[in-house]
Amino acid sequence: KYLFSINSALGDQAYVWNENEMFLFRATLAFAMRTYSDGQEYDVANVVVCDETPRVSFWFVVTSPLDASLLVDKRRVEEAVRKSRSRINSAFLLTDDTLEFIGIPPTLEAPVAPDTPPWLIAFGVVMGGVGAGIVVLLVSSVKRDGEEETGGKTENEAASDAIYNMSFSDDEPVTQM
Amino acid sequence: MGKEARQNWDNPVQFVLACVSYAVGLGNVWRFPYLCQMHGGGGFLIPYLIMLVLEGIPLFYMELAIGQKMSLGSIGAWTAINPYLGGIGVASVVTSMYLCLYYNIINAWSFWYLFHSFQSVLPWAECPLNSNRTGPIEECETGTSTEYFFYRETLNISSSIEENGGIHMGQALCLLLAWVITYLFIARGVKSTGKVVYFTAIFPYVVLFIYLIRGFTLHGAFNGVAYMFTPKLEQLANPTTWINAATQIFFSLGLGFGTLIAFASYNQYNNNFERQAIIVSFINCGTSIFASVVTFSIYGFKATVNYENCLERTRLLLLNTFNLAEDSVSMDNVFEWIEKLNTTYPQQFAEIAHKLEGCDLESELDTAVEGTGLAFIVYSEAIMNMPVSQLWSVLYFLMLLLLGMGSMLGNIMAIITPLRDFKLLSHISDELLNGLVCVFCLLLGLGFTTTSGNYWFTMFNDYGANFSLLFVVLAEVITVSYIYGIKRFEKDIEDMLGHRPNWYWKIMWAGVSPLLLITLFIVYIVNYIQGGTPTYQAWNKELGKSVVTEYPVFGQLFIALLLVSSVSCVPLTALYVYCRERKRRPAHTGSPE
Repeated sequence: KYLFSINSALGDQAYVWNENEMFLFRATLAFAMRTYSDGQEYDVANVVVCDETPRVSFWFVVTSPLDASLLVDKRRVEEAVRKSRSRINSAFLLTDDTLEFIGIPPTLEAPVAPDTPPWLIAFGVVMGGVGAGIVVLLVSSVKRDGEEETGGKTENEAASDAIYNMSFSDDEPVTQM
Repeated sequence: MGKEARQNWDNPVQFVLACVSYAVGLGNVWRFPYLCQMHGGGGFLIPYLIMLVLEGIPLFYMELAIGQKMSLGSIGAWTAINPYLGGIGVASVVTSMYLCLYYNIINAWSFWYLFHSFQSVLPWAECPLNSNRTGPIEECETGTSTEYFFYRETLNISSSIEENGGIHMGQALCLLLAWVITYLFIARGVKSTGKVVYFTAIFPYVVLFIYLIRGFTLHGAFNGVAYMFTPKLEQLANPTTWINAATQIFFSLGLGFGTLIAFASYNQYNNNFERQAIIVSFINCGTSIFASVVTFSIYGFKATVNYENCLERTRLLLLNTFNLAEDSVSMDNVFEWIEKLNTTYPQQFAEIAHKLEGCDLESELDTAVEGTGLAFIVYSEAIMNMPVSQLWSVLYFLMLLLLGMGSMLGNIMAIITPLRDFKLLSHISDELLNGLVCVFCLLLGLGFTTTSGNYWFTMFNDYGANFSLLFVVLAEVITVSYIYGIKRFEKDIEDMLGHRPNWYWKIMWAGVSPLLLITLFIVYIVNYIQGGTPTYQAWNKELGKSVVTEYPVFGQLFIALLLVSSVSCVPLTALYVYCRERKRRPAHTGSPE
């Protein structure tokens, strides 16, 4: 069984389903059978459609080109359809969602897997930048400490004395318990 | 730093921005909108604002005053106020430590999502294919693709807290990055933090504003905003509303961690913190409301999109089952058709009845979510439906990152400032001490990146800070009001500001706030006891959703440990000081003191 959902796929650019579209469908199916099945010369006449509804859904069967009363095995038809799914879809400007074959699950394309996951690239960039920032910071602080050590030693001693006195006087209001 | 004078903020603006950056955090974005929704929409603002005035601003003011007066971190400041109660500071530091351990994990997740936004198709927008390539992975299909991305690809979560696995390398790398950036921001103490807060405080508002405009132009946004703001005033009669308002104000302002004391200790002695306290509190409150408007417009959009998708699926089902022409059933008359078909073809209809999902906009809007579920699942679902979703995704996760980092800075300062004050550590350089603290927290935090890590995270989030903070702030306000004395406190403030605090502040500190806190405290304990065994949400792979599970025994013991370890600091320190004084006193009988 075959289901078309033309309007949902195309919206304003939807085409009207008519006899010609049906002809195209039968032709694409014949093409699929020719290419992916046993190589016999299938023709449009070998694809028989029945039970068409306004929904644009219908049943179809494929007859063998050698003998019109012989039906081709369902499994072979399914396999042919599955292999040429993308061609059939693009003939009607539709996709796997909007052109449904009941009973034939779509073989979805494997997603493109890049060698390095893209998030690692972004991570690497940010980590590199932050790492560089830290190195700059540490180097500049080591340099700053180095300068303080060599220059103004007596100043430092006087300063630390003053600090020591201040902290001693701060203690007094607290020690009264 | 022990050799030089204490560092100071370059100007008062840095101090205000630091407080704003700390207070305005993830809770404003993911907890307040939830509370608003649960407690009657616009009507929730009434208890919220009342609690802000009764409890939020006075306590904020008090902590700033203490920090600025004592010019020491929380341990030093409380020891100065009363030597026996230095334990309050210790409890603050322990609670801040717990917070630092788990909070940076959220930043790690934000980084993860941020880095994954740089792809042509957002990875949480589609389900990955199963091995046959016939359809999506089952776990993803039963849940949603955003949930799958969060639980499976981000966390690789196990099915319960008892099952453990290895460390998720991606998470560990992001956590490392988060701690490295934290170190970079605080390496030189206030000098570096003061410059960073310009960015972490202001940029989130830029993003929120952009999102406000984007949100309002989204299809269906108005549904969400209307739903949120329609006040359901009968909720005001529910005491839980008032309790939640009080608790939200309390945690949103970040009281009790010692951060405010630490920040204020770097102020000039005469800084006018009274005005700043009021400004920061109102900015915090305003941001919560602003963020809710944005959140609800996005909610409205997401609910409308889900509702319309549901209608579309139902429409397709009807078309396929009854073979109707495609344009006969449109989204508007789906429900009429259901009625019609039910009466004309009852048997056929009964066959597909179980596949019919009830599509209801109200119930889509009703799904109230808070916490990490809101930020990482609901929001990313909304973002993937927007055009140019990569841009919105990057902006959003950058905002989450800055909000989280800003709060992290405050919490790390709350640990480092008191450590700095200890004479033992004063000869270690700034950079080294800060680095050691960061490395320590990073190593312990790696435990949260394991497969059961999210469950431990939830445990810390639910139990690590809430109870201890209530206790600490209650102890603070009682100490200041009754043990130290309101009169002495008044004089200290007059010394700094030049005028005494007026009657409003004194009534709040001495009366209203302690009563409120005691009520919250009791309610918390009663809820905990009545709640029975503590439970958590475990992700079930087969069902594709979270199920409520009880904590195992070791989990419950750990919860008890978390609660007791910080609270017990107060009596233990008091005991220690008492014993130390008793040992000293016999030696002092001969001295003139």
